Amino acid sequence: MVWEQLMGNLIQGLVLGAVYGMATMGLSLIFGVLKVVNVGHGAFIMVGAFTTLWVFNALGINPILALPIAFAVGMALGFFFYYTAVKRLLKGPELATLLATFSIGVLLQELVKLIFGSEFRGYNWVVGKMDIGITVLPMTKIYAAVGSGLIALFLFLWFKRTRMGSAIRSVVEDSEGARVCGVNVDGAYAMSFAMGIGLTVASGVLLTMFIPVGINPYMGGGYTLKAFVIAVLGGLSSPYGAFFGGLVFGLIENGSYTLFATMEGVEPFAMTRFLSFVILLVILLIKPTGLLKAK
Amino acid sequence: MTLLKLQNVTKRFGGLIAVNDVSLDIEAGEFLGIVGPNGSGKTTLFNVISGVYIPENGHVLFEDQDITRMPTHKRAPLGIGRTFQISRPFASATVRENVAVGAMFGTQASSLNVDRSLELADSIIERVGLQEHRGKEAGLLTPVEKKLMEIARSLAMHPKLLLMDEAMAGMHPNDIDQMVAFLKRIAEEDKIAIVAMVEHIMRAVVGMAQRVVVLHQGAKLVDAPTKEALEDKRVVEVYLGRQAEES
Amino acid sequence: MNSKISKYIPVLPVFAAYGILFIIGRTVPGMWQLVAMLLFYCCLGQAFNIFMGLTGYVDFGYVAFLGVGTYGMALGITRFINWELGGGTIVLGFLLALVMATLLSIAVGAVALRLRGAYFAIATIGVNEGFRFLIEGARIWNGSEGIIFMAQLNQVIGREAASALSTFWADVIVLIIAALAALVTLIYMRNKVGYALTALREDEDAAKVMGINVTKYKIIAFITSACFAGALGASSWALKTPYVFPPEVFEIHYTIEAIIIVLLGGAGTLLGPVMGGLIYGVSKYYLSIFIPGFQLLVFAPIIILIIVMFPEGVIGVFKNRIKNKALAHYII
Repeated sequence: MVWEQLMGNLIQGLVLGAVYGMATMGLSLIFGVLKVVNVGHGAFIMVGAFTTLWVFNALGINPILALPIAFAVGMALGFFFYYTAVKRLLKGPELATLLATFSIGVLLQELVKLIFGSEFRGYNWVVGKMDIGITVLPMTKIYAAVGSGLIALFLFLWFKRTRMGSAIRSVVEDSEGARVCGVNVDGAYAMSFAMGIGLTVASGVLLTMFIPVGINPYMGGGYTLKAFVIAVLGGLSSPYGAFFGGLVFGLIENGSYTLFATMEGVEPFAMTRFLSFVILLVILLIKPTGLLKAK
Repeated sequence: MTLLKLQNVTKRFGGLIAVNDVSLDIEAGEFLGIVGPNGSGKTTLFNVISGVYIPENGHVLFEDQDITRMPTHKRAPLGIGRTFQISRPFASATVRENVAVGAMFGTQASSLNVDRSLELADSIIERVGLQEHRGKEAGLLTPVEKKLMEIARSLAMHPKLLLMDEAMAGMHPNDIDQMVAFLKRIAEEDKIAIVAMVEHIMRAVVGMAQRVVVLHQGAKLVDAPTKEALEDKRVVEVYLGRQAEES
Repeated sequence: MNSKISKYIPVLPVFAAYGILFIIGRTVPGMWQLVAMLLFYCCLGQAFNIFMGLTGYVDFGYVAFLGVGTYGMALGITRFINWELGGGTIVLGFLLALVMATLLSIAVGAVALRLRGAYFAIATIGVNEGFRFLIEGARIWNGSEGIIFMAQLNQVIGREAASALSTFWADVIVLIIAALAALVTLIYMRNKVGYALTALREDEDAAKVMGINVTKYKIIAFITSACFAGALGASSWALKTPYVFPPEVFEIHYTIEAIIIVLLGGAGTLLGPVMGGLIYGVSKYYLSIFIPGFQLLVFAPIIILIIVMFPEGVIGVFKNRIKNKALAHYII
């Protein structure tokens, strides 16, 4: 019985982790290519969540179809903020991009608050559950996890097979060399930033498929910290590392919640959140470049 | 007592051997030129001496003290100063403040407070000829002025050893001659050992250095008085390729 | 001797500003509330500037120090009530706040300050949340229920005194803290600490080569900044509204405001936080009449604009204008 419980727990953790991982890929992509830490990361996830909400409630479209819409919104935002702010700060002190991305996050929160108000919202998308014996998973969670995996796969193929993908990879290796070879480095940066934001906004859709409640303008904050833990776990510069980091983190978070729930005198939700912060510090202390060999 | 001793220093980056079993002695007041083409390991060697890198093998001894693993910031008070290939001023501070920083944390840090450091900075700034830019923000200087300021900043530290990375890169030949004369004077007057690193054997090195070390692919190729080094066949080969021999 | 004192002249405009604020607050009817708010923001800015302005590092979890200071005062008043120290309990509360802020900053700094720029920022992102969830999760100090200590405060110094504290004296204390923070900033700037910080801010590697122990100086700035934040929380939060509630005192909102104030006024300058605090505070006050709760919507794009176009802030731009004039000695 215990064995089954454990396996069930594991599967829940992996399913959660896949979505978390996908939500972090954009962060790692942007850092890997531009060396910019997107401190406003959570706000973009929130934008994705609200996009899903609007699409579902206003247009009656199911969330899966909200994915491409969210991705497009993200790309647009990404290009906009790259050309208006980020591009000019790339050569300056690190502090500048940190504060700029942070402020962009704040701006988005306030804009969404203005448009949608600050109440907590949710939506209800009923598509049944799947019982695999050791545990029960709602179909929405399965869709979210599978979707995450597919997106990760698409990204991998895109980088390998397309011209833009190779251009970006060359820029990561050696930006000067790439420039000399005729690669439009600025365009590669813009594209990477836009894609990173696009991925992040899209992940907001998947996250709401996982947790369709509690959607509010300030929901991003909690995800920013988690994303950084995952990104650091996976090597900070590699989107694939982020995905696997997400899986690991999902397992840890799920497992620790269950563990804390059995303990006396502690609040499992709060302790789990505290634990993720501790993990971040520990990894940064021993191996800031991540536990996985990043590519 | 030899001022600086490098004993079998090897520095690796992954599979690449940047510095290969280099041993070197530098005496107080000496003027040494380290020469070698791009990728020969010069900058890495400097970084090992100034503490930016820790070598996998070998030892660095300064005045007989083993400093191989000593953190960078502790080497300055011992007397190791360094200038950079691309100048690195503290841009928003004035020239005067930049130079004073050298004094405040250098070999005489404990006896120099802020005011005395600023006074010392003034006198050194005059020596290098930057008086009229004294109150200017260091970031606004021309590249040559920045180089002079870096030298002044290092001198304010009152070093025993001054490592000069690509000392004359990008300088006009006239300026080079002036700089050479200036450095020679400093070496003599202040009894500072100067190790100047340059990419090519040029008039600069010939004019200043009594001794030349030639690096090739991380290893020491030649270590001899300047005149001999210039005429060494191996050195000619390394720079000009076999064609020189054949022609 | 003369030049020794003249080095510290630039603190006079700061003191003058605070003095004028105080006078306006006491003489113009109804102004005290606004003045109190402005003093809070100026103080927040001065404290935050000691770290972010002087080192160029940003601590995204900064509010944690305000929160911990608030807890310090709350614990001082509630746990030591039986010592019957009267007004001395307040002093004890401050001491506790400072000790706790110092301990937290050492704990965070020991890990985070070994890291460079971006990694440091990442490490600090969760500090305020992390500490809050530790308190709630492990049910420390009443966990998520927080501490309500109005009754104890009344008991310790009497109802009238408590009321005077919350409507006037707490704000005076904030003013004193702000003035002290400005003085300490200038002392740092005029001594080796300041030069070391400027060097490491401009070029950390070159600073090391010049013999500067960058970690040591970062820690000094970090702890100093944390202590002032702790004192601010203990006075402006604990003594004015005698309850402490984890989600409120660890809210990232205050870190955002601190960042805005320092950037707006001019990071690393002495007068910057005062200017920033005044501009931000006054704007927020009047914006709240027209678009309550949305002042960040106005300021976020302004800050982005400042970062891109005027990174040196209001005072920075002003300093460039008055470069070779006599006024330059007073405005730094």
